[in-house]
Amino acid sequence: MIVLYLIGALVGFLNRKLSYFLGLLASLLALYVGVKTTFFGFAGTALFHFFDNTTVGIEVDKLNGMFLAIASLSFIAVTLFSLDFGELYRKRMAIFLNLSMLGMVLILLAHDGITFLIGWEIMTIFSYLLIVEHKGAYKEAFKFLAFSELSTVLLIIGFLSLYISKSSFDLSGNTNNVVFVLFTSLAFIIKMGIVPFHTWLKDAHSKAPSNASALLSAPVTLMGVYGLFRVIDLAGYNHLWGIIAVILGSISAFWGAISAAVSKGLKILPAYSTVENNGMILAMLGFAACAHAYSTSSTLFEFAYLTAILLSLSHILAKTLLFLSIGQAKEQLGEESIDNVRGIHESVGKIPALGVVISGLSFSAFPLLLGYVAEWMMLESIFQSYQFASVFDRVITSTGGVLLSLGMGFASFSMIKLIGYSALGFSHGKKAKPMNRVFMHSAELVLMGLIVLFSFFAVRLFFGLGYSQFVIGALAVPTGWLIASAKPVFGVISPTFLAIVLAVLFIVPFVIYLKSRATTKRVISWNGGLNLKEEEYFTANAFSFIIEYILRFVYATKETKDGNRAFVSIRDVFDDVYNYFVGMVNRVTYLISKLVMNGKVYFYLSYILTMFVLIFIVFG
Amino acid sequence: MKPWVFYGLSNRLTERFRKKDDKIKGLSPAFRNSLHIFPIDVGNDNGLNFEMEALQSSQYNIHRFGIFFTDSPRHADILLILGRCTEKMVSPLKETINQLPSPYGIVVVEGGQPFGIKPKELALSNVLAYYERHLSADEVLSVLLNIMEVK
Amino acid sequence: MRLLGVFEENEREFFLLQDEDRFFKSDNQSYKDEFFNYNLIKNRDVLIGSEPVEGEGVFNFRYGPVTAGVKEAGVFNIYTYGERILSVNIDPSYKKRDIERLMIKKSIDEGLKFAEFVCGNFAVSHALAFCRALEGCAKVDLPENVIRLRVVALELERLYNHVDVFLKLARGASQNVLTSHLSFIFEELLRINIDFGSNRFLKGVVVPDGVQVNKSANFEDLSKRLKILRDKFEELYEHALKSYNFIDRIHNTALLSKEFALEIGVTGPTLRACGVDEDLRVKEKGYERLSVALEEDGDSLARMEVRAKEFLNSLDVIVDNLNKVKSLDKLKGVDLKDLNGEGIGYNESPSGLLVYYVRLNSGILENVYISTPSVFGFKAFSEAFKGFIFTDFSFAFDSFGIHFADCAR
Repeated sequence: MIVLYLIGALVGFLNRKLSYFLGLLASLLALYVGVKTTFFGFAGTALFHFFDNTTVGIEVDKLNGMFLAIASLSFIAVTLFSLDFGELYRKRMAIFLNLSMLGMVLILLAHDGITFLIGWEIMTIFSYLLIVEHKGAYKEAFKFLAFSELSTVLLIIGFLSLYISKSSFDLSGNTNNVVFVLFTSLAFIIKMGIVPFHTWLKDAHSKAPSNASALLSAPVTLMGVYGLFRVIDLAGYNHLWGIIAVILGSISAFWGAISAAVSKGLKILPAYSTVENNGMILAMLGFAACAHAYSTSSTLFEFAYLTAILLSLSHILAKTLLFLSIGQAKEQLGEESIDNVRGIHESVGKIPALGVVISGLSFSAFPLLLGYVAEWMMLESIFQSYQFASVFDRVITSTGGVLLSLGMGFASFSMIKLIGYSALGFSHGKKAKPMNRVFMHSAELVLMGLIVLFSFFAVRLFFGLGYSQFVIGALAVPTGWLIASAKPVFGVISPTFLAIVLAVLFIVPFVIYLKSRATTKRVISWNGGLNLKEEEYFTANAFSFIIEYILRFVYATKETKDGNRAFVSIRDVFDDVYNYFVGMVNRVTYLISKLVMNGKVYFYLSYILTMFVLIFIVFG
Repeated sequence: MKPWVFYGLSNRLTERFRKKDDKIKGLSPAFRNSLHIFPIDVGNDNGLNFEMEALQSSQYNIHRFGIFFTDSPRHADILLILGRCTEKMVSPLKETINQLPSPYGIVVVEGGQPFGIKPKELALSNVLAYYERHLSADEVLSVLLNIMEVK
Repeated sequence: MRLLGVFEENEREFFLLQDEDRFFKSDNQSYKDEFFNYNLIKNRDVLIGSEPVEGEGVFNFRYGPVTAGVKEAGVFNIYTYGERILSVNIDPSYKKRDIERLMIKKSIDEGLKFAEFVCGNFAVSHALAFCRALEGCAKVDLPENVIRLRVVALELERLYNHVDVFLKLARGASQNVLTSHLSFIFEELLRINIDFGSNRFLKGVVVPDGVQVNKSANFEDLSKRLKILRDKFEELYEHALKSYNFIDRIHNTALLSKEFALEIGVTGPTLRACGVDEDLRVKEKGYERLSVALEEDGDSLARMEVRAKEFLNSLDVIVDNLNKVKSLDKLKGVDLKDLNGEGIGYNESPSGLLVYYVRLNSGILENVYISTPSVFGFKAFSEAFKGFIFTDFSFAFDSFGIHFADCAR
C-alpha cells in the first residue's frame, strides 16, 4: 500500500491521471486492510531494528485499523474526485496529494513514535504544499505550517518523555507519564483545530484547493482524533483530562457553530463546522473519561467512546462530501461567497447540489442520515450525566452539554443558510465553466450513498465494532435493529425503522403525489407583482444579521454606514488575540533586527566571534 | 383593563345583512361556504380602498359569511380589481392574475373614474362581474354573497 | 416661508410659496437654492426619499406594488443588510395618473370632477382647494352658512381619515378588539357622510361658489349621532393609551425631528406632533371652537395622539357649526363662467396643507398645479424610518396618514 502511494507520487511526475488512479487503488487497499482489521480481527506488524533496542515499523491493530478504514473512505472520494478536479491544477498536486495520504497512512499504522513523527511531518509538509497550490494562499499556508510545526514540537517532547520513562518509542502497552499525555494531547488538539487553536484551520481550509480542503478538514484533523484515541489507549482514562476535554470540546463546538452561523465565505462555513465537529468528538472523549472515572460498571463510558467514533465517521463522510460538492461549484462558478453561487442545482448540476443538501442535513442531524444517529447518541450521553456521583462533574458535563446542544442548533442554522443560499435558491443565471465531471459526480454519489447506508445499518456497525451490548430489540423492533444508549435501557432509537416508517408514511405518498399532479400551476415566486431583480434577492448576510445583532457582544458586531456604503463587520475575537501576538512578535523582531543588523562591520565581526565561541562551549 | 367580553356581548355592533339579488356568473359550488378575496388597487382614487377598509368593519362582520381577505393572491379565490388601470400597473395586474389558483374569479369595480385604462380593454378572463360605477362596502358584500350562492 | 411647488408656465419656472397665511407665486430664481426641498418637489413623480445604499450584503427589499400591507399601488425600495433599514425611497409612479395634465383644456365642472378623483378620501379638501382657487380668481364672497357647511364637510372628512389612521395602527399591533370598535366608528362616519352630503366620501358637496348638502338632513340628529361616537372614541382612546403592547410598538418609532420636519416642508398633524404650533384653520371663519392639538416627541405615538385630539376637536367644531347653520337656502351662488386669470386655493386637509394653483382662460383651465401634503409626508416617512426595522413598517407608515393617490396625482 505504502509502495503504491509512493509509486503514485512518482508517477505524478509523468501523468497526473495515472497518479491519482494509483492513489485511488492504494486507498482501496487501505480500506480493505482497515475493514479486515476492524471486523475480521486481522493484525500484523512489520518491524525493523533502528538503534539500541529500538525498533521502528508499522503495525495494524483494531484501533488504527478502524481509523484507517474511516480515513480511507475519504481518501477514495478525494482521489476519485481529483481525477477530474486535478485538471485545474499542476501535475505536482498529484504528488503532494499522494504523499500527504502516505503520511497519514504512516501515522495510522505507526508502531512507534518515530514512525508516527515521520508520518506526521510528511503529512504536514505536503499538506502545506497542497495549500500553496492555490494562488495567493501563502499567508494561510504559512499559518498552517506554523501551527502544525508547533504540534510537531509538542509531539517530539511527548515522545521523548515516553522514551525516557519506558526507554522505548513503542505506541503500545501502558504508560502513565503525565508529560507524555499532556504534550501529545495538546499537539493533537491543535491539529483538530479546537478553540483557541482554530484560527489557522478556517484560514487554511478555506483557501486551499477544494480537494485539499476536503483532505485537510476530514482526514488530517482525523489524525488528531486518532492521536487522542491512541493516547487514551496508552495512558488509560484520566478524570482531570476528561474534565478539560469536555470543557475545551464543548466550548469549541459552540464557538465553531456560532462562527459558522455568521460566516459569509463559501468554504469558511464548512471550516468552522469542522471546528464544531471536532469539538464534539473531543467532548465525547472527555465524557468517556469522566464516565470511566465515575464507574466502570456503567456502560456510559463505552457508549460515549462509541459516540466519539461515530461522530468521527459521520464528520469525515459529510465533511468530505461538503467540501467536494462546494468545491466543485466554487471552481466551476469562480465565486468565493455564499451569496454568489446561488442556484447550484441549476447552474452547476443536481448532483453537487444534492451533495451540499445531504451533507448539510447530516450536520444538522436530519433523520435518515448518519449525523442524526451520531448526534442523537451524543445527546443521550449528555443526558446520562445525572449518574455522576460528584456534583462538580455533573455541573461541568451538563454545562458542556448545554453548549453542545446550543452548538447543534447553531450548526443547523448555518447549514440551512448554506443549503438555502448555495445549493437551492434562485439561480443567478450564471454559467458554469465546463469541466469533466464523471469522476467528481461519482465521488459525491459514493459519499452520499455511504452517509445514508451507514445510518440505515448503524446498528449492524455496532455489532461489527464489538459493542453488541448497545444493540437490543424492543417496541416491535426485532432484536438487532434497535440502538440502546445504556444498559439498563435509557433511551432507544432505530434509524433503520425510522427510515422505513418515514419512507412509508412520507416519501412514498409524496412520490405518488408528484406523479399524479396534473393540475399544478407553475408560476414564479410572488413578489408584489413584479419579477425580482438581481439586487432585490435576500442576501445570506441578511439571513444571519439577526444572530449577529442579538449576539453582538460575542461577535463584536459593528454596523458601519458611511455615506452610501453600509456593511456589518464581525470579528472572531481569537483572531484578535493572535493578531496581537503576531504584531508583538513583528515589533520585537523588528527591534532585534534593527539592533543586530545596524550595518556596522565591527558589530558583525563580534557577533560571528560570539557565536563561534558559543558553539564551541555547547558542543565542546 | 376593561371586561371586554361583557362589553362585547352587551354592545352588539354587527348588523343583520340583507343582500340585493343580482345576476352574477357563478364560480364553483365549492365556494358556497367560504370565499377568500384579494383586492388589488390598479390606480383608483383610494375611495375603493377605503370601502375595502369599511367592508372589514364590525357592522358587516364578513367572517360570519366565510369571507376573508388574503395576504397573497396565491390564496385567493376572487380578485377584486379596484379602479381603472394606470399604465405601469398593467403588468403587475397580469402577474397577479397569473398567480391566482384555479378556479378563480375576477370582479372589476371601476369606481366611476374618468381616466385610466379600462380593465375591459385588457381582455381578462374569468370576469364574473363588472361595475363601472363606485360600489360601497355593502354593495361589494352583496356581490360577494351572490357569487357564493350561485351553483 | 415655505416652498410648496415648482411649475413651468410659458417656459419659465415659477415657485409656489407660503408665508404665514399668504400664498403666492414667484419667478425669483434664487428660491431654487434657498429651499432645501426644491429637489424633492422637482422629483416628486419619480422618486421620493433618500439615496440607495450599497455594500456587502445590502439588498433592496422591495415592498410593493401589490401587497396586502399597503393597499395602494406604490413601491417602497427599502435598502437593508437584514433587519436594519438603511435607506428608503419611494416610487409613486405606479399610481401616477397625470391628473394635472388631464385637467388642462377642461371646463370648470370637469376640472372639479378630476380634483375629487385625485384622492377619494381627501375629496372635500381637493374640491375645496380647487373651488377656493376659482373663487379667488373670481373674487366672490361667500355667505356664512356656506362657509359653515364647508367647514362641516371638511371636518367630517378629517374625522374618518383620523379614525382610519388610528385603526390601521391598532390593526398593525394586533389590537383586535380596539380595531373592531374603531372600524365601527369608521363605518358609522361614512354613513353620516351619506346623510349629510349624499356620498360616502362627500364627493359633490363642495361646488364653486357654493355647497350642496342633503336637503333632508336632520342636523340635530346628526349632532346626536356624532356625540355618541365622540364618547365611544374617547373611551377607546383612553383604553388604547393604557395598553402596553400597543404603546410599545409606536412609542419612539419613526422619530422625526422638528428642524428636519420644517426643512422638508411637512405640514399638518405630522408637523404638530413635532411641537410646531401651525394650523391655518385657527384664523378661518367657522373654527371658533378649535383648539390646536400639539405634541412634542415627533414619533408615531405623538402623531397618533395629535390625531386623536384633533378628532375630538373637529367633532366639537362640527357640532358647533351644525348648530349655527340656520337655513339651507341660497347654498349656491352665481355660476362661475368665463373666468379669466389665476387663483390659489388652499386648506388644511386631514394630513396637512393642500394648495391648488389654477390659471383659466374664458372658463377653460389653462394650467393647474397641485401641492399635496403626501409628497412631503413620504419624504418625512423615508427619513424617519431609517435605522428602524422592517417590523416597524406599518407603525411608521400608517402614522403619517399619507396616500399614494394623494402623492401621485
